[in-house]
Amino acid sequence: MKAVFIAFDQAHYHNIIDILDRLSCRGFTSWQQVNGRGSDTGEPHYGTHAWPSLASAMMVMVEDRRLDALLQRLSELDAERPKLGLRAFSWDITRSI
Amino acid sequence: MSLYGGAVKRPIMTTLCFVAVVVLGLFSLSTLPIDLYPDIETNTLMVMTTYQGASAQDIEQNVTRPLENTLNAVSDLKHITSDSRENISVITLEFEYGKDIDVLTNDVRDKLDLISSALPDDAETPVIFKFSTDMIPIILLSVSATESTPGLYKILDDAVANPLARISGVGSVSISGAPKREIHIYVDPARLEAYGLSVETVAQIISAENRNIPGGVIDIGSDTYSLRVQGEFTSSDRMADIVVGSSGGRNIYLRDVARIDDSLEERSQTTYNNGERGAMIIIQKQSGANSVEISDKVLKMLPSLQKRLPSDVKLGVIVDTSDNIRNTIDSLVETVMYALLFVVIVVFLFLGRWRATLIITLTIPISLIASFIYLAITGNSLNIVSLSALSISIGMVVDDAIVVLENVTTHIERGSDPKQAAVHGTNEVAVSVVASTLTLIAVFFPLTLVTGMTGVLFRQLGWMVTIMMIISTICALSLTPMLCSLLLRRVNHHGRLYTLLFTPVNKGLDGLDNGYARLLRLVTRHKTVTILLCMATFVLSLMLMGRVGTEFFPTADDARLSVNLELPIGTRVEIADSVTSRLVAEWREKYPEIQVINYTTGTASSDNTFASLSDNGPHIVSMNIRLSDPGDRERGITEIAGLMRRDLLAYPEYKKARVNVGGNMGGMGGQASVDFEIYGYDFAQTDSVADRMRRMLASLPGTADITVSRADYQPEYQVDFDREKLAIYGLNLSTAANALRNRINGYTASRFREDGEEYDIKVMYSPESRTSLADIENILIYNQQGRGVRVRDVGKVVERFSPPTIERKDRERIITVTTVVEGVPMSQIIQQATAEIDRMDIPQGISVQLAGQYEDQQESFADLLLLAVLILILVYIVMAAQFESYTYPAIIMTSVLFAFSGVFFMLYLTGHTLNVMSMIGAIMLIGIVVKNGIVLIDYISLNRERGMSVTRSVIQGGRSRLRPVVMTSLTTILGMVPMACGTGQGAEMWRPMGAAVIGGLTFSTILTLLFVPALYCVFARNGIKNQRRKHHRSLRAAQKSAQS
Repeated sequence: MKAVFIAFDQAHYHNIIDILDRLSCRGFTSWQQVNGRGSDTGEPHYGTHAWPSLASAMMVMVEDRRLDALLQRLSELDAERPKLGLRAFSWDITRSI
Repeated sequence: MSLYGGAVKRPIMTTLCFVAVVVLGLFSLSTLPIDLYPDIETNTLMVMTTYQGASAQDIEQNVTRPLENTLNAVSDLKHITSDSRENISVITLEFEYGKDIDVLTNDVRDKLDLISSALPDDAETPVIFKFSTDMIPIILLSVSATESTPGLYKILDDAVANPLARISGVGSVSISGAPKREIHIYVDPARLEAYGLSVETVAQIISAENRNIPGGVIDIGSDTYSLRVQGEFTSSDRMADIVVGSSGGRNIYLRDVARIDDSLEERSQTTYNNGERGAMIIIQKQSGANSVEISDKVLKMLPSLQKRLPSDVKLGVIVDTSDNIRNTIDSLVETVMYALLFVVIVVFLFLGRWRATLIITLTIPISLIASFIYLAITGNSLNIVSLSALSISIGMVVDDAIVVLENVTTHIERGSDPKQAAVHGTNEVAVSVVASTLTLIAVFFPLTLVTGMTGVLFRQLGWMVTIMMIISTICALSLTPMLCSLLLRRVNHHGRLYTLLFTPVNKGLDGLDNGYARLLRLVTRHKTVTILLCMATFVLSLMLMGRVGTEFFPTADDARLSVNLELPIGTRVEIADSVTSRLVAEWREKYPEIQVINYTTGTASSDNTFASLSDNGPHIVSMNIRLSDPGDRERGITEIAGLMRRDLLAYPEYKKARVNVGGNMGGMGGQASVDFEIYGYDFAQTDSVADRMRRMLASLPGTADITVSRADYQPEYQVDFDREKLAIYGLNLSTAANALRNRINGYTASRFREDGEEYDIKVMYSPESRTSLADIENILIYNQQGRGVRVRDVGKVVERFSPPTIERKDRERIITVTTVVEGVPMSQIIQQATAEIDRMDIPQGISVQLAGQYEDQQESFADLLLLAVLILILVYIVMAAQFESYTYPAIIMTSVLFAFSGVFFMLYLTGHTLNVMSMIGAIMLIGIVVKNGIVLIDYISLNRERGMSVTRSVIQGGRSRLRPVVMTSLTTILGMVPMACGTGQGAEMWRPMGAAVIGGLTFSTILTLLFVPALYCVFARNGIKNQRRKHHRSLRAAQKSAQS
């Protein structure tokens, strides 16, 4: 099992759900409105006057065999709309119940 | 869920909601009546009391004064004015605006009940009239007749007036110029005396003979019959056989002492239409009825009425007010359509995409149509004010939608799907959209709170614009994102036509952006110079302020002139007729623009209320002229009026002449006039002041038609009875005076009934026996014992002069000197005249005041200025709340100064005056121009929050916000262009408003784009310096504490 943390511009939400459905990744937890900014180029998403856009975040638990496909699809989506911002980070799940 | 989230998710519901609004709006539109002005609730009541035969002074003493003293106690009274003239007292009560007139009417009625017993016995019960715009006749019909003239009244009453009065909505139909039938019993005084009879006895006998008396019921056999005595005369000549007395055992018949004359009223008004004798039919509408609808019905009915009339009687239209209303409304509708077209073109050029243009422009009809629902619910009409509100709003309702669409587009361009972009894009700007609408509402909502005349007019404007703004904001936050999610595409494919059309446009706009950025760089480098230059222009415009004249309302060309002419008092009506017919012939030849010219002379009978309300008398001529449509002629109405005034100078027969432009519409639309009120009891003194005033005004340039309200002294004969002698003969003054009245004025003995109509039977001396003073002196008055006494034995007949109309205002005698303002602004005349009055030597006890339109203007201007201050404060509050700062709103508010400069420049250039309309324009500007500043400052401060330097923020912000600022300003300016350049009927009214908005907005947009960034730099630098200083201070304090 892998955990994937996806932080993305709000507008991506439906596209990401779409990708998860296509890849049959069922389990996820999402936060509809979060703030944050990217390390290099990412525009801040603060929901303030200066930076009005907002981000969402999602924690997805996938089986190891689906991870590559998921990251691949996500990076394609990001490449398609680079200005919105989308990042994903994955790590191992050592135990679960 | 948010409004926009829901709207995007449920497009069908959203669409149908707006469809429902549009359907309701269109339904409301179909029910809306058309009118010229909003329904102005009356604030005036008139109390009319007739007292036949009394002179002006009698009326003043016995009727007007007691009534005034009692009525003065009614609450909310602003002014009480009165006219006491022969036979009638007219008291006008002017109340504060906005009070319930029904309650006031009841108060007045209660007071009248209190006083009515104290009035002279012969005075009729005071009648209360509510005067509102509804009272102004909506149609004047002309009637020409030749052979049918003697019976014209009955013909018209039966065949025209009655059918017209049956039309629903028609209030009253009165006929003037057609004398009524009256049966005169002309007695011969010598024969009466010979038989020992008096006028009173004859009259009482006639009345006693002309009776139908029911005699009860009688049972005969199995039936019950009613018993009646039918004694009423069946024809007028039957009266000749009445026995009025006996002498020497022989019956004396009425024919022995009198002549029966079954003809027309002795004194009545005559009317001439286009030089031919005829009559005039005056049609008034019921309160609240729609003039246009009624006039349509009346005009439709005319051909069928014409068929029922004898062949020599012809009907025509002198004045149809609905014509003017229809033309005015048509030209305003045209204005609204042009405004719509211009706005659509601007939006299309700036956005360059038809889908976006469609989304934006859809907001316009929806907001506009929704406002019709408000009009229908509140029972208002489509009128100048409501349509101007539409025209004004067209440019503003798109602003919110544009902001939303722009942001949604940015999101789409960044890669969002249209649906997501619509929700998130709208979410980001929702607050600022609401805030900018609030600033506009802060301007327009207070308009609904203005009191007075202006308030009545502009309350509707305030409500309409407020409602349209709210609807447009709701639209921008629901319909616009919904449509964006459906219609906008992530990738735009442009056709060849687009490239061809928009490449130069885009290049131009880019060039503009770059040019402005360069200019901003220059401005930020030379801030002080920029600020000084801008302030200098402002100061310069203030100097122009003195050169722009002021007036109350602009003069409108409604193709209608009314002319009041007065010959020397006491002139016989025949002379007035002949002089006026000469004048009419000259004018008809000289002015081909005249379509119908109609005039009326003579004394109105007391039962014709419309005629007796206006000035009338044998020497007074009142004329109505209808000109061809303003578009069809070269000379304007004021020019023609001016020429007519010059023509009248060649008629020395007329003592007074007045040419009124625009009929008599009250304060609005007519040519401006200035009233000088001279208060004082003494006739001689006030007359001399009035005369000096008249001469002084005549010497000023731009004055015309100077009239002194007090007419000349009317020569009259007075009978001075000697009370002692009267007492010796067992008479008292009122018996003696009534005897006189019955012989000269006539005693209405009874009424003759024929075909369901009643005609007065008047007993009086025959005309040939009342032609000299000796005839009066020889009048025989009988006392209780039946002994006759001649007037000359108990009194003297003397000739005296008395003023024909005694005018009073606020219970003091008054003369009003009025001058029409021709070709110069009203303010100029007022300035010069007040300077002259100060130099005049005015006797003690006499005071001179400026009133009339000037008073209205002062009140309205004061109201509007107060309103402007209120609006400025409200707008500041809204902006300060939005920016959470005291400084930014202050910077933005400076654009208001330039808006006012622009207004003055524009008014000066176009030659318009500062009047209520242009002031309303200037007030609207407060809301419109600050929006530019808000957009600019908002983006500049956003840039700074994103970490840019002050200068860079200003240049970047300015560059990227130039287009929205220019676009919203252009939509408003171009939306106003049709108003400012309108040539249709009534366009004179709103032209100054259009000019003021265009001038103010253009000027302020240009200067705001330079001044606001410069000022921002200064304030921002100071802010930074202050912060640095504070920081250094705290650092130093920290160092010190570390050292110690």
